[in-house]
Formats: sequence, structure tokens, C-alpha cells
Amino acid sequence: MRRVFGALGGFAAFVALWEGYKAVGAPEGTAVWGVHILPRTDDLSMPHLYTVIQRLGHPELAGGRPIWRVVLDACLFTFGITAAGFAAGVLVGFLLAALMQRFGVIERGLLPYVVLSQTVPLVALAPLVAGWSGRLSFGPYPWQDWMTVSTIAAYLAFFPVAVGLLRGLQSPPASGVELMRSYAAGWWRTFVKLRLPSALPFLFPALRLAGAAAVVGAVVGEISTGTRGGIGRLVIEYAREATSDPAKVYTAMLGAALLGLAVAGFVSLLEIPLMRHRRRVEVNVI
Amino acid sequence: MTAVSIAGVTKVFNAGRSDEVTALSDVDLTVDSGQFVSLIGPSGCGKSTLLRLIADLIEPTSGTVTVAGKPARQARRDQEYGIAFQQAGLFEWRTVRRNVELPLELRRTPRQQRRARAEEMLGLVGLSDFGGHYPAQLSGGMQQRVAIARALAVHPPLLLMDEPFGALDEMTRERLQTELLQICAKTETSTVFVTHSISEAVFLSDKVVVMSARPGRIVATIDVELPSRDEAARQSTAYFDTVTAVRKALRS
Repeated sequence: MRRVFGALGGFAAFVALWEGYKAVGAPEGTAVWGVHILPRTDDLSMPHLYTVIQRLGHPELAGGRPIWRVVLDACLFTFGITAAGFAAGVLVGFLLAALMQRFGVIERGLLPYVVLSQTVPLVALAPLVAGWSGRLSFGPYPWQDWMTVSTIAAYLAFFPVAVGLLRGLQSPPASGVELMRSYAAGWWRTFVKLRLPSALPFLFPALRLAGAAAVVGAVVGEISTGTRGGIGRLVIEYAREATSDPAKVYTAMLGAALLGLAVAGFVSLLEIPLMRHRRRVEVNVI
Repeated sequence: MTAVSIAGVTKVFNAGRSDEVTALSDVDLTVDSGQFVSLIGPSGCGKSTLLRLIADLIEPTSGTVTVAGKPARQARRDQEYGIAFQQAGLFEWRTVRRNVELPLELRRTPRQQRRARAEEMLGLVGLSDFGGHYPAQLSGGMQQRVAIARALAVHPPLLLMDEPFGALDEMTRERLQTELLQICAKTETSTVFVTHSISEAVFLSDKVVVMSARPGRIVATIDVELPSRDEAARQSTAYFDTVTAVRKALRS
């Protein structure tokens, strides 16, 4: 209940900030010694929020489908890509973390490159993935364009999982590990009975980050590979009309934001059954 | 029958490096079946190291460790001992009952039997009503009792304890000491108990092994003969005499 009120309060504060600044800010923006420090507030740069909402109900182009349908369809398309990328990224991250936990040599050798992987600019990566994967096929099923985008999403999503889960797998105290050793439990059983359950509190924040990263990866991936049908593409298309129809691009951005929220929500749903009793513990301690 | 037999054991950490430490030097120790033996000494005297050697959590540099008539490694694989540490180290995501079941699970004991054994053990430590609770809901003393129940769950002939009551308050501590003695008597378990409390060592033990540091070695072995093991024993002359003897041995 508290969280719901918090979220609503946050939204209200955002609306108040946007509309408040629009009301008091200078239309041409504020410049100090020729340097712009505050953005423009005219209707072209900052349309009223209700204009954006209204725009959702109007057709995309004259006589076309209402824009909310177009944005929703695009979001669903991107959601599918994100989900596939998220799943692949989580799987890869999981395997890497387990491998790094198992073999110290691999951790020392691989971890710097895992970190390094995230500094590669996505925009540079996308055409590479598209180029490499063009000739791939899974038996009779050829590589699809959306798979390229999913790969980019996975590339971003695996990182928080690999790093967060590794921390989690290494979190049990030495006494816990010694206890498992005293039971003559090997690596696998120590992993299943001790390390994995200990890692859950580390895993879920990592999954939330991975979800957000997968959305970013999918949106950027769509844009840089020119994949049609998704929200990323829509943002670019609508941005071209920003001068004549400024509210339109904001509808697409709203869609992208809601997509991120939806993904974060789904990840939180995963958490509920697994973390239930730990929550109960926390409640009782307080 | 001897529960533990240690012969000529030396343990060197970081051998051949500049930070080389001789944790134990030429240690011999025998624990008879059903005997309660305490290891006492200042920090760094290697008493915990000795316990870990018996548990085969670390390996001796030289010498042999025999537990229940087998090499220590084989004894560990056969779960011939149960172990409890200063921190109860319960798995917070498992209920108390499932914590006690853990060693049985790893032995692939059938579910029904596991459940029955866990109930039996929880009864033994007086926590029958708390099987469904999570560890965080229990006090420190109760958690430590669960740890003891877990250590005894496979009915091991040997119980290894590393300062299990070290983090508890004095009242809880004395109550648990009495309970531990009753449990050990009932289950006929041999016990090796690491502590740095003289009174605790004397009250619990048949034999107190006094150790000194740098290098860790045994300086005295003092047999304890108390008329009984109850609250009255804590006031007996024999108790105070033995406490004095241990204190002297620690000073020398």
C-alpha cells in the first residue's frame, strides 16, 4: 500500500515539476553568459502533459489507427524481443557466474573482460552482430532480424547477472562452506544447498538491472539495426515529426518508459514466491 | 575403543613463505569413546586448528589423525562426526526443522525418516515447538541449540564444537552447558570442545587439554573428577581445585 502511494506521489511530483517549470520558465530557455543552463519551455520543446495524453487518442496519421494502439503494438513487439534477450542474458550470466565461482582461474581471467564488455559502444556493436549473424541458421530456421536485437539485449542483460550472482555465490561465510565440507558434500551439492539460496538476495536486484538493461538494449538495438515494428523504431520515426507534432514523440517515449516498468514488474513477480519466507523473517525482526 | 587418536601432528601454514606459521607442533592426543575433552588455551594456540584437523577441514603437514578407527578423511566422508561452530551458522532460508534435516538430506535419508529424526533431535534440545520457525525468529541461545541438534542429527559417535557458547550471555551459557552434558550422556557421544573459558572447560570435561601458543602445542593434560555434573558441582572443592590447576598450567 505504502509503495503504491509512493509511486503515485512520485508521479504527481513529476507532473508538478514538468508543468510548474513550464509555467515559470522562460520560453526561450535561460542562458547565463551565453551558456544554456535551463531548457526551453515553449510548446514545441515541452508540450503540456495533457496534450501528450490527448495525442494518444488521436490517429497516428490522418485516418489511421489511434496512436495508443500503434504504441501498444510496438511495445508488445519490443517486449517479446526484450524477453528473449533477457532470458538468454540471464542464462549466460548464470553460467558465467557459476563457472567463475567454481574455478578461481576463470574468475581472474574472465571477470576483467566481463566488465570490459560493457564499455563497448552498443551502436558499434549492433552492425557487427547483424553482420556475423546474417549467415547463421538453426537447422531449417534462418536467423531472424529480431534475434539480432535480442542478442544485443542479452549482451547488456548478462552483465549484472554474472557480477551480482558471482557476489552472491561467494557470500556464504567460511563456516557454512566448512559445514558442507564436514557433510562430505561436493561442489554441486554445496552449490545447490548453500550457495544458490545464499545468492538469491543478490540475484534479484541483479535481475531487475538486467531487465532494465534488456529494454535499453532492445530499444537501442532496434534503432541501430533498423528493425521495424518496435518502440525504438517508433521513437525515431516520431522524433522526425517533432517540429510539427511535438506531442507525438512523447507518446512513444511514454510507451518505452511503460515497457521498462512492465519488465521490472515481471521480474519482481519472479521474486515473490522465492523470497516469501525471507520477507517474513524481515518483518519479524523489525 | 578410541574416538580420536592424533599422533605426531604438525601443521604449518604458508610453508616456505615469509609469513610461515607453525600452528601446531608435534601434537599427540587421544580421546576415548564417550569421553568429553576440552581444548583450552590463549588465542593463536592452535586449538581451533586441531579441531579442524580432526574434522578433516584441513590436512596435517605431518603426522596422522584417526577418527573412529579410520583416517580422518574417510571418517568425514562417512559422517562419523557432527560439528558446531561459534556462530550457529543456520541456513536462514530453511525452517529450524529443515536445518536439522540438512545433514540427513545430504545422506539421502528418506523424507519420513528425516522428519522423524529431526523431531527427535529438536525434542532433545527442547525446541519441539519451534520446528516451523525460521532461524532469525529465534534467540542466539536457541539458534545454538538448533546447531547442536543439527550436529547430532546423523547420530555421529563424535561431536566437535568450536566455542559454541562463546557468543552467548553467561546465564544462557550455563544452562546450555548443563543441557549439553545431558545430551552427550544420553546419546553416548564423545566430544571435543574448544573453549577459552576455564570454568566451562572444567565443568564440562572429563579431560582438559591445555595448549600454549607459538608454536601451538599441548602443555598439560588435566583429568577432571567431579562428584556430579550439576549446579552443585560448580560449588564443589574438586571443581575449584581443578580450575586452579588449569589456570596454573595456562600461566606456565
